[in-house]
Parts: sequence; structure tokens; C-alpha cells
Amino acid sequence: MSLLKVKNLTKRFGGLVAVNDLSFEVSPGEIVGLIGPNGAGKTTVFNLLSGIHSCDAGSVTLGDREITHLAPHRRSLAGIGRTFQVVRPFEMTVLENVMVPALARNKSVAKARETAFAVLKMMGIENLADALPGNLTLAQRKRIEVARAMATKPRLLLLDEVLAGLNPTEVAENLPLIRQLRDQGATIIFIEHVMAAVMKVSERVLVMAQGALICCGTPSEVTNDECVIKAYLGEEDPECSL
Amino acid sequence: MKPKHLRTFGAAIFILLLLVPVFFKSTFVLHIYTLIFFYIALTAAWNIPAFGGQLSLGHASFFGIGAYTAAILYVKYGVSPWFGLLIAVGVSLLGGVILSLPLIRLRGPFFTLASIAFTEVLRMVAIDWRSMTNGSVGINIPFKPGFKNMTFTSGEPFYYLFLATAVIVVLLTYRIRNSALGFHLRAAASDDEAARALGVNTSLAQFLALMWSAGLTGVLGVFYVFYNYVMEPNTAFSLDLFSLQPALNGIIGGMGTVWGPVIGAVLMTPLGEFLRFYLSTIQQGLHYVVYGLVLILTVKFIPGGILSILEPLISRKKKDRDKPKEKEERS
Repeated sequence: MSLLKVKNLTKRFGGLVAVNDLSFEVSPGEIVGLIGPNGAGKTTVFNLLSGIHSCDAGSVTLGDREITHLAPHRRSLAGIGRTFQVVRPFEMTVLENVMVPALARNKSVAKARETAFAVLKMMGIENLADALPGNLTLAQRKRIEVARAMATKPRLLLLDEVLAGLNPTEVAENLPLIRQLRDQGATIIFIEHVMAAVMKVSERVLVMAQGALICCGTPSEVTNDECVIKAYLGEEDPECSL
Repeated sequence: MKPKHLRTFGAAIFILLLLVPVFFKSTFVLHIYTLIFFYIALTAAWNIPAFGGQLSLGHASFFGIGAYTAAILYVKYGVSPWFGLLIAVGVSLLGGVILSLPLIRLRGPFFTLASIAFTEVLRMVAIDWRSMTNGSVGINIPFKPGFKNMTFTSGEPFYYLFLATAVIVVLLTYRIRNSALGFHLRAAASDDEAARALGVNTSLAQFLALMWSAGLTGVLGVFYVFYNYVMEPNTAFSLDLFSLQPALNGIIGGMGTVWGPVIGAVLMTPLGEFLRFYLSTIQQGLHYVVYGLVLILTVKFIPGGILSILEPLISRKKKDRDKPKEKEERS
């Protein structure tokens, strides 16, 4: 049975259809890449899945539970974790940042401190526990963002461009992380523009353009798909129609 | 200073304060101290929603509700103020629930404006509901000394009552800030949407914060009316005394911190009394000009309040840790 089932999901912003009749499924333990040109609606999909936006039509099912109209915090408790494209750390120490989600599940501050420290250790940033996020590099802040999402113990983890803005060395350092997160028990959908990363890490790739899903398959299938090439590079083959 | 030294320092001050009435017999000195304790407690209570980034300018409503409830129960129905206190807290909480209804939708400056309007409505009700509140004449507490009546022949009992209240409220806000609720409020203040995405019910956290704050403010209303013997609508629901003053203290001391309200109240209360007294001989309301200047300068140059200057000095020595393991909770 699939972990996530998205059916006919649609979101309009005024006259703009940001997400248009989108349907896909994700199996437990998968690592799925979500790619597409700028403005394709990738982040909007994440916002719809995490409940930040409410959809105009369609349904979202996590496991056997329909969560289409659940409030964001309830979806998080149901098992959807996410990071934000622009990192949004709270104005408190790194450890305290990671304690916040833990405290939403267990009121004990001492326990939350332990949980948070364990997550930081897993992410290899326990040395930053007492630092303030404002003083850290972007790569470090992105790790905190992921650590915070991991502290929610997500069944489904939505990573929104966690590699963007990092230099090549940092990208190389962070790549194994995505697999590692999956090994911690999270099924992963990640949005990424760093193509090398998408090809290397994802088991399946969903391609969006103008709000619709135009292609879905293994990385090599997708890169050879004519519609995908068209979406990224413009018209080439007049016979490929959408 | 190490946390242990801070605790010793705090205990020493507390003991000194316990001894003040023994050595100073002047009613004026006692009154100023009592007023400082009152404002420490009021500001600390006001500050709880500020942990979550909510700036209320409507705390006079909870204050007035508490004061009126206990006063009416005592004067009209002969209910001891100590028992009336419980009912007053209940009614203040009810006021908190009513103000929370807009809070579900309104954040930031819109909540602040709604809180002012709420107080105004209550003030009008207190003026017009003559059969209950005695209208704008107000309610006088008859002078019948006795513990049961919360009426005393000297200033000392209220000195100790307000001292104890201030200590309890500040410790309570410390506990709240370092609890799960405190973390959720701070996260909500920092980034509401991100907090919700992490599973935090920020609306519930804001609501609980307002309820704590409303209840405690109601208690202070009760004590204040029995300390002053009189209560009329323009005082009980005074924007100036019980909404702006705690906000001013909090912002100047350090909004959303535990010790900011203490610093703010300790500095601003005597200054306020002094200014009100001396400047009113020159021109009525001139002290507001000074208040306004202090507020503008604070927000412009030390937006984190006075505590934000003091904190690095206090916690510098605390930073010399080698192991990042267990540390003292900061406030």
C-alpha cells in the first residue's frame, strides 16, 4: 500500500492555476525527486501537502488517513515533516530550535532536550547545539532546518531545496544525508534544482511544468523524456504535445 | 555572574525587601515600594502573551473585571474578598476567552487594536450598568479592618502581599517560559507558520498564554481595589495605568523575557510617580511626553530593552564551558 496518495489536487491563486489536477502516489521507503522549471508549482505542492495552503479540489491521503483538510500542526503530528526553501530558524539556540517539535509531542523539557541532542548528533551538528542560527553559514542553517523536521519523527519528509545555495563541496557532503534520513525511517520527497543530486539520490522522479505532472519515472527515463526536455529547454519536437 | 551567584543575589535582595517595613515607617516609602511590586507583577503577567509575540494594550480589561467583581461581591453581597478573588479570576478568564475569539484571526497590531477596543467597551459597560457598578461614581470599599475583609490599618500587610505576589508571578513566568508552552510561544513569536509545520498548535499556545495573563491580572485588580478602597470606571479600565504602563515597562525592560518586566517596573514606577508629581505642576499630562520620548529612544536604540544590554554582561562568564552537554536554562 502506498504511504501517500494524492488525487486530482488543484490549487488556484486568483486566475493562476498553480497546481492543476495533480495525482501521484509514493510508497513507503521511497526517495522521490520532484523537479521542474521555476514556477512549475513544486513548492505549492509541498504547501498543500503540509497544510500551509488549503487545496481547491482533490484529496491527500497519508497511510489510511485522509488529511486533505487537516490543520498544518495536525498534519505534522500525523507524520508529515517539511523544510522550507528559505530557511526559517527560530530566534533561539540550535538545540532549542530542535526541541520545539519534540515538545509538541511530549511536554517534558528534559526529554525534548535529549531527543533534540540525539537528532543533532545524527545530523553531525551536535557541536552547534548552543549556537544561534543567525551566526551560522547557510549550509549549517539548512542542516538545522532538516534536523528540526527530523525531530518530528516524520513518516513522510518533504525537503524543499536543501542543497540550493550550497557550494559543490557542501553539496557533496550533504548528498549522503538524504539516504541516511530514509534509513531513519522517513519516506522522502525532495525538490531540487541541483540535477546531479537528483539523478544520484532519487529512485523515482516526478517532473512538473505549469502546475501539472508531465512525466514520472526513473532518473534515466526522465532525462530522456522528450516532454521533460521541452519543458526545460523549450520547443524542439512539434509532435510532442501536452 | 554564575547562575548560583545570581540566585544568592536574588535571595539577598528578597531578604532586604522583607526588612524594609521594619526600618522605614514612612507611609510614602512603603507606598512606592508597594506600587513597584504591583507593577512588577502586572508587567510580568502582561508579558506572558509577549513570549508569543502578542502585544496587548488591553490588560486594563482583565484588571478592571477582577477589581469590579471582587468589589461588587464584597460591597453588595458581603462576600469576603479572599473568596471573591477566586470568582474574580474566573470572570477575568471569561474576559480572556472573549478576547481570544478575535485572537484566533487577528495577529500583530490588529490584536493590539482589538485589545484596546475591548477595554473601552468594558469601561462603557461599567459606566452605564449603574445598578451593578454604581456608574461613574464608582464603588467605595467600607473601612472595616480585618484580614477577612482584606482591609488593614497599616501599609505593611499590603506591602508583603504585593511583594509575595510579585515574586510568585515572576517565578511563574520563569516556569512558563521554560516549559513546553514557553518554547511553543517563542517559536510562534519567531515564525508562526514554521512552528505550525513542526506540529505546534500556535493558536492554542497563544490562547493559554492569554488565559494565564488574564487570570493573574484579575488577581492584581482585586488586590489593588482593596489597597485603594475606591474603584470607578475610568480608573479600573484605565488605558494609561493598567494597559500602557505594563506595556511600557515591558518594552523598556525587555519584552518577552523573564527579567525585563522586573527591570522595567523597578525603573519606570518611581520615575513615573516623580514625573506625574513634578511635571503636573508645570503642565498637566507633560509626563506623557517624557514617557513617549523614553519609549521612542528605547525602541530606536535598544529594541531588545535594557535587559539586552545587561544580559551579555551577566552571562559572559557562563559561556566558559568546554563540554556542550548539560547547561543551565537561560531565561
